[in-house]
Amino acid sequence: MSDGLHPAVVSAQPSQRDEKNPDAPLFEGEYQDRLEKILSRYPFKRAALLPVLNMAQQVRGWISPDTIKRVAEILELSPAYVRSVASFYTMFQLRPAGKYLIQVCTGIGCDLCGAEDVVEGLLKATGTRIGETSADGKYTVVEVECLAGCGFPTMVQINDRMYENVKAEDVEGLLKELD
Amino acid sequence: MNDEKKLLNVTIDGVELEVPAGTTILAAAERVGAVIPRYCYHPGLSAPAVCRMCLVEVEGAPKPLASCVQPVQDDMVVHTNTAQARKARRAAVEFLLMNHPLDCPICDAAGQCELQDYAFETGQLKTRYVEPKLVMGRDKVTPEIVYFADRCILCTRCVRFMDEIAKDPVLVVINRGQRGYIDTMTGELFENPFSINIVDVCPVGALVNEDFLFKARAWDLDQTASICPGCSQGCNVSLGTKEERIVRAKPRFNPEVNSYWMCDHGRKTVINWGAGARIEVPMARDGDELKPVDWPQALDALSEAIGNEPGRARAIVSAGASNESLFTLRRLMEELGSDGGVFRVPTGPEAELPGFPKLKLRRDRVPNAKGAELLGFQRSDAVFDSAQGHRGALFVLEDTLEGAPDGFGTNAELFVYIGTRLNPAARSADIVLPSTTFAEMAGTFTNFEGRVQRFEQALRGPGLARPWWLTGSALLERLGAGGRYRTAAEVFAALASEVSEYEGLNYEVLGLKGAGAPGSSAAATAG
Repeated sequence: MSDGLHPAVVSAQPSQRDEKNPDAPLFEGEYQDRLEKILSRYPFKRAALLPVLNMAQQVRGWISPDTIKRVAEILELSPAYVRSVASFYTMFQLRPAGKYLIQVCTGIGCDLCGAEDVVEGLLKATGTRIGETSADGKYTVVEVECLAGCGFPTMVQINDRMYENVKAEDVEGLLKELD
Repeated sequence: MNDEKKLLNVTIDGVELEVPAGTTILAAAERVGAVIPRYCYHPGLSAPAVCRMCLVEVEGAPKPLASCVQPVQDDMVVHTNTAQARKARRAAVEFLLMNHPLDCPICDAAGQCELQDYAFETGQLKTRYVEPKLVMGRDKVTPEIVYFADRCILCTRCVRFMDEIAKDPVLVVINRGQRGYIDTMTGELFENPFSINIVDVCPVGALVNEDFLFKARAWDLDQTASICPGCSQGCNVSLGTKEERIVRAKPRFNPEVNSYWMCDHGRKTVINWGAGARIEVPMARDGDELKPVDWPQALDALSEAIGNEPGRARAIVSAGASNESLFTLRRLMEELGSDGGVFRVPTGPEAELPGFPKLKLRRDRVPNAKGAELLGFQRSDAVFDSAQGHRGALFVLEDTLEGAPDGFGTNAELFVYIGTRLNPAARSADIVLPSTTFAEMAGTFTNFEGRVQRFEQALRGPGLARPWWLTGSALLERLGAGGRYRTAAEVFAALASEVSEYEGLNYEVLGLKGAGAPGSSAAATAG
């Protein structure tokens, strides 16, 4: 195994790459090894669906219909079933997102502490609407339920990085920091 | 393995009964007449217990149990209708109705909707939900089936039908919670020869057949037990009729033939069977013309023509005619001296339902080929050959004569056409008698394996059209060749006493589920 990762963590390796190629080859080279490691952890192939989808998203940035078919083929499932599972979890992007996927928690805790203003500020600053990608292809803002940081509202996650205690007035600085 | 035979004691709503181990509470309750509300449970499918509608109170259990999956245990005491159970169901219905559009006045399922029934039963006439409702719209899932996402309660019966019975897992739930909906992989339409069954299993109005959409209200339909004439399988169906038209056909449960299912081809065949211009009055030849006459005149003309000894009789029959009609024609031909009869069988590709392999859309796309065979008619690919040069009496029973050669029947001394539609070839007949379709008469078909099944009359025949067995037996009486039969049951009794394969069968034995072969000597599973 080229990267020496333990099977239990290979699929959870955060991908810090901002630029992703939606047509990148899936499960080749290094990722072929990772796939085999993932499969080795489970008694049957279907059980590996979530980590395999996770890895596919890391490689390509989103779960395209083509990716779904490929994953279904590898795990011997029906493509419809793979789409069903992928759509159940909001962490899987079923549409291409911008270079920066900005997830804002609007769960009860963050909401009470002004999450709506943060969302509004972000939408204004990026010139998009919820779930849409800005014209320059850079930003996608979405609302999520909980980012497991309720002690630090409002929680914002941009790609794989978490930002705590975000206020509406922090939005501009936040976006600048990205570029 | 002994466990399977073990009987368990259970008390349901105060009634004690014994059920075999492995029976679910829901199934046991049905035996004492307690119908527990359910959405996701369907007797022909697996039960995922997702709808939480069938919760019942079990003494000793800390919380209500889902009766559709909970097997009965010995000495269990179940209450299906206590305050606790009702409260649980009420909550389930309230959640289901949260985003439901309540568009019953324009919904196809109104009147046959389980959501409507249970919402009424739990008595929630007003909603407590004040937020705006989520609107999702509609989409087609097959070329014929429309999916109304707003009405869907995500019971997944359709998903499981495609998965377990059709073994074509194209439907899934997309997203989750209130944003969930049913779709295919790509969002494109799918096709399957058994797809319309997903409309039948849908407990609400989410999946509707476009063929029936906005055609009729469920409560306006008359239901008649019948048999699908689409192929030689003989699926048991229930005809929904309104104003003397068949508007839909739904499968009728029969574990020996079609379970809860039927194919799409059959549904279309049923609806189109009697469509088009019909022969409504008897006609007799007067010189070059066919003149309308009444029944006594027609029978006079026919018995006179037969009295003139036209010669031996040949026939082309339809394998869509009932056993009773075929038998009556056989008797008449025997009077004249029978030269035999033939029938043709249109065929099409076979399609199997993998989850219930007994059910196939059969190659032979006629309902009664076996019956015609047992009554002595020959299957033939060239039905017109034997009849073409025939100089005696020629009978055509319900064959459409499509594809008949020019001058068909003109050589015959007597050409009698009995049928529903007057195709050009039938116009050279000496006597034309209007007959009825399977939906317009009672009778029996014999399916591919020899099972005899009854169908009931759902419609009135057009004009003066009568079943051929009725007019035929009146004619036989005039000729002094047998008693007059007034019901199809009487004809069948006579048939059963003459044809060995039908020995011991009668309408009572047949019931509404049929009987006879396989393994026969009238292997009866009377319904």
